[in-house]
Amino acid sequence: MAEEPLTPERIAAYITTRLADAHDVEVDSLSRITGGASRETYRLRLRYQGGDGAVERRLILRRDPPDSLIETQRDVEFAAYRAFYGSAVPVPEMLWLEEDTGPLDRPFFIAEEITGFESSPTGLLSPPFSDHAEALGTHKWTILGEISRADPIALGLDRLMPVPEPDGCWARELDYWEGVIDADQIEPQPIIRATIRWLRANPPPPAQKISVVHGDYRTGNFLYDKEGVIHGILDWEMAHLGDPLEDLGWGLNRIWCWGGDDRRGGLLPREQAITIWEKASGLKADPAALHWWELFNCVKGQGIWVSSAKAWMDGQNREPILIFSAWRMLNMQDRAALELMGHL
Amino acid sequence: MTPNTRAILMDLAQRMGGLYAPDLKSPYLAGSAGLTAAVLMMAAEEGDRTAHRLVEENRAIRVLLNEAAGLPPPADLAERLRNLAGGDDSNLRISALQAVNDALRDTLTDLHAFVETQPGDSAAGLNAAIWSELAASTRRRAFASASF
Repeated sequence: MAEEPLTPERIAAYITTRLADAHDVEVDSLSRITGGASRETYRLRLRYQGGDGAVERRLILRRDPPDSLIETQRDVEFAAYRAFYGSAVPVPEMLWLEEDTGPLDRPFFIAEEITGFESSPTGLLSPPFSDHAEALGTHKWTILGEISRADPIALGLDRLMPVPEPDGCWARELDYWEGVIDADQIEPQPIIRATIRWLRANPPPPAQKISVVHGDYRTGNFLYDKEGVIHGILDWEMAHLGDPLEDLGWGLNRIWCWGGDDRRGGLLPREQAITIWEKASGLKADPAALHWWELFNCVKGQGIWVSSAKAWMDGQNREPILIFSAWRMLNMQDRAALELMGHL
Repeated sequence: MTPNTRAILMDLAQRMGGLYAPDLKSPYLAGSAGLTAAVLMMAAEEGDRTAHRLVEENRAIRVLLNEAAGLPPPADLAERLRNLAGGDDSNLRISALQAVNDALRDTLTDLHAFVETQPGDSAAGLNAAIWSELAASTRRRAFASASF
């Protein structure tokens, strides 16, 4: 069935059904923004008359695309945000989750917008932001430590996310991402296939605890200011429960060295980032285990990049970011794997 | 033909990124235009070198496939090696070179998995040569704008 255009009026009509005491609900300033390849992201302004008078809020709407690049569950993403709201892990407030396709043709959720901050990874490379790279890096890895330290059962996330056994985290993740590559690769990937063979032959120790894994914790997925403070951790769409070293390894991935040097995420040297994470999480980054998870993350990255290539080739998504991923990110990911295995 | 493809794509990239994108009011369209400029720049680089890198790589992989004959590999792999080791890339269309490259890299992947399981200096030497070629393959595909 053909979709209707996404208009302020349709969004206002939906919000009216969710705000019992509100009237004169209006939506304006609706504009699409870049926000990941797996959901459409829109910014909007909501105004209405509530019980205490006029209310105005800036909101974000994240809607499923016609075809998703990576299969993720919006209810899991929504729950992950909610679990950390009001904690030491800064996240926007989640307002409404809608899984019915009636209101806006596809499932979506609406959240508050954290306004006034930057998210561009390359924006960090020049003043005034680059003057605070160390402070930002310290905050970034401290927040990840808080995520790793958190108890997912106490947060209630086990109700939506499968809880793996500590000795089963690695195989579950590797099986999944190898499956993605099997399904989506368009051309042979000899480097990542060799990486997978090595990972299977050299499994890591069991996870020291089962943690919330953000799934895409990297520079580019947080909001920052000019003083070196992070105000929002975004893009929880790949969140799951697992080995906390998975997130650490993803964030340390060489492909996120935006500055063209060895600073991870364009902010801090690798060893400094690990030290900060250990202090904040109360956990240990065993070097051999972390090496496994860093190498695994090259497989995970390649799963995303080959899926980008396939989505573009199939015509299901023609965003230019997918070509960027299929060419540049895929090549850098291969180089990252080679470097970790001592072959670059 | 002049101007050539590389020059045209580079110019379009500069126009898209420097002239058109900044004037777009929609943040989404402005971001998309900026990314399109970056992709056009990569396309200029890749378009100029594709045939060269494919021919160079196909030759390098054939050398490795020929070296494997002495190990010797299992029969089905040996047959694939024989079938692929004698190609000459006489058809220089990129689509043809790419099809040959895909077949060669697919077989190289299986050869690598086999070589890793074999004892002896010959296997170790071939294993090292394969890793060396894989590293070279990433240099052939690297972009000037890449941060790593």
